[in-house]
Amino acid sequence: MKISLKFPAALLCSLIPLLAHADEIRFTSCPIYRDTDAGRKSGCWLTDDHSSGTRYDVSKAPTKPDWNYPVLVEGNVAATQDQACGGITLDPVRVSVLEGSCPRHLLPAESYPGRVFVLPKRNVQPTSQVRTPPPPPYSNSTFSLFFDFNSSFIVYQYDDYLLDQAITWIRAAQPRRIVVTGYADTGVQTVSGQKIAERAELAQLRAEKIQQALIRLGIDQRIIKTSWSTRPEASVAEGADGLNWPSRRRVDISAEL
Amino acid sequence: MFYQRRFIRKFFAAGLLSAAAAVMAQSLLPDRWWAPGEDRVFPAALNYDNTDGTLQTLLAGGPMSTKGHAFFEPLGANGRACVTCHQPADAMSLSAVTAQERWQATNGKDPLFAAYDGSNCPNLPQSERASHSLLLEYGLIRVQRSWPPRDWYGEHVKPDFNLEVVRDPTGCNTGKQYGLKAGSPSISVYRRPRPVANLKYLVAMGFAYDPKQGMPLALDPETGQPVSGNFMADGRVPTLRAQMADAAATHLEMFNQLSEAQRVQIENFILRLYSAQLRSKQGVALDAWGAKGGPQTLMESSPGQLGSIGVPVWGKEFAAWDNPSAEDKARLSSSELAFVQSVARGAKVFRDRNFLITDSAGINSPMGFGNPVRYSCVFCHNMAQMGNDVAPGQVDLGTTTLPFADPAPHLPLFRITCLAAPHPHYGRVIYSSDPGYALTTGRCADAGKITLQSLRGLSARAPYFSNGSAKTLREVVDYYERRYSIGYTEQEKQDLVNLMSAL
Repeated sequence: MKISLKFPAALLCSLIPLLAHADEIRFTSCPIYRDTDAGRKSGCWLTDDHSSGTRYDVSKAPTKPDWNYPVLVEGNVAATQDQACGGITLDPVRVSVLEGSCPRHLLPAESYPGRVFVLPKRNVQPTSQVRTPPPPPYSNSTFSLFFDFNSSFIVYQYDDYLLDQAITWIRAAQPRRIVVTGYADTGVQTVSGQKIAERAELAQLRAEKIQQALIRLGIDQRIIKTSWSTRPEASVAEGADGLNWPSRRRVDISAEL
Repeated sequence: MFYQRRFIRKFFAAGLLSAAAAVMAQSLLPDRWWAPGEDRVFPAALNYDNTDGTLQTLLAGGPMSTKGHAFFEPLGANGRACVTCHQPADAMSLSAVTAQERWQATNGKDPLFAAYDGSNCPNLPQSERASHSLLLEYGLIRVQRSWPPRDWYGEHVKPDFNLEVVRDPTGCNTGKQYGLKAGSPSISVYRRPRPVANLKYLVAMGFAYDPKQGMPLALDPETGQPVSGNFMADGRVPTLRAQMADAAATHLEMFNQLSEAQRVQIENFILRLYSAQLRSKQGVALDAWGAKGGPQTLMESSPGQLGSIGVPVWGKEFAAWDNPSAEDKARLSSSELAFVQSVARGAKVFRDRNFLITDSAGINSPMGFGNPVRYSCVFCHNMAQMGNDVAPGQVDLGTTTLPFADPAPHLPLFRITCLAAPHPHYGRVIYSSDPGYALTTGRCADAGKITLQSLRGLSARAPYFSNGSAKTLREVVDYYERRYSIGYTEQEKQDLVNLMSAL
């Protein structure tokens, strides 16, 4: 399909090189669904940052918005822009569905094609697929899972993949002890003019959720210890994708041999 | 017998020569109704006609005597056996038509109409037809759940919602004996019996994670092993063995538990059953001309395959009918050719006709697909050959919950008030005739979620949906059209109906 860039999009394209080097973008807003149809899961998700008046394409987030609720957007401007949806593409990007309410807003596809769905790089293989564990020797290792704001939900095709990586290693390395540490980012920050902070109890909830997940995956609960903290530092572990703020909302699975 | 008489009338009236042979073949079929305690042989292949053609049930490993078999023997106080509600002619489920025939044949004395759950409420006058109206009109069996719920370990779950009765047409939710204010508080909901065939697909675990709950698959308390999470409308049991125990205590009213030998015998039998439509009413064999319909493919295929990354759902079965050869076309009558082409189109519509799915817990929340999300029927009906969900299939399509459910004055209505977070799509207060999975988990976010079913043998087991709200396959399509404003054309609707009639 031929894409004709409308004036605002063309204008924004000129800003992309500048934005790409800017700090991590973070704002709250009501989502907009653009009803593009390039097959399954091809609709676009857009959000406007009111402080700059910029419309962003957040369709590549592991968690997509719900058009009834505001969202917290955290991401970087993608190095490559395809103009598939009609906003500046953020990638990597995280979307967290917040409490509150939003008017549903559906835009027609107009001239935007959307994107043909491809499986994200972090997708769990079927059980029929044999996992190949990393070869020995093994040493103490830490695996991290990252969460949406104010959530302890293990995100599909993101956290489950990270957990699957961890359990594959753990099954091979047979650690004698596993420490699961949950973090909640309780520090108050002002985002889009609103003060936001995670609930403190989430740190414990996240730790206990992952402990339970490990038990379900066959790990002896006697070797799992849980702890939690509300003073997280940013992480650069696999899965953080260089995003500062989302990396604080995590669980670390530390395996000791 | 009713079907056999109608079959004979139809074909002799038409004066078709081939009808004589068909009638002879039909007369060789065993009686439609399998009563408890009969001494019969369950054959390796068992055919029964229905309004859309012929259903076939295969028993892998060959024929089996039913004499003394725990599936066929009346083990409890009410004279029922498992087979009472899992009839071979009904794809190992029970159709409303069959229930009506049994009422007529026995004047309501068949054990099927046992007071405990074959009537609208046990304390109603059992000799009156009206007391069994939900079973007779909608094929519904009463399911009594304890309130508050108990988990798989038998422990009470503290629900995060209040439950109140708004409407109680059966009297079984507000009485002194049965209901939320009874000595042992309970809630009665009314559901269709699920087929006990093709079960290797329901026990299959395609992935180690349940994306809808955001956790690895749950563990069976008995064995500590992960389970598929695809049993029962409300997921109240984790395994076939637990389902048997639940059914024995309730539907069969057994005073004692099933013995280990009985459990093994039943499990061995039902895991060998494969049931699917074999022939259309036009006489088209559903495994002819390269198609793979019928139960043989079901029996031979591996379960748990996700259609979107393997063989597309209904892609393998009817792909050969997309473009029949000139030779095949010449062999088919016009009605046969029209049917074949319609089924092939229906499979494509099922797979490829995308629409916006909105406000459906288990899809649009909480796993991050977005609300709305564009997809087709195969988003949820994704297991190759079977059409159930590879992941644990608890989804709220709105069939039991307002405002999406069709009016159902014959069913109770409950008001659910969420005490913690509101439901992501319904808000704080929810009205439902069957809270479904929430009756197991105690979570208001699970209100209205019903475990997806198998899509095979549909023609043999109307009505549809867990509450029997769709009397025909067309009504199933019409519900989805209303629910999601899909915009199916009339042709697409008919093609989907023909596809489903061929499964």
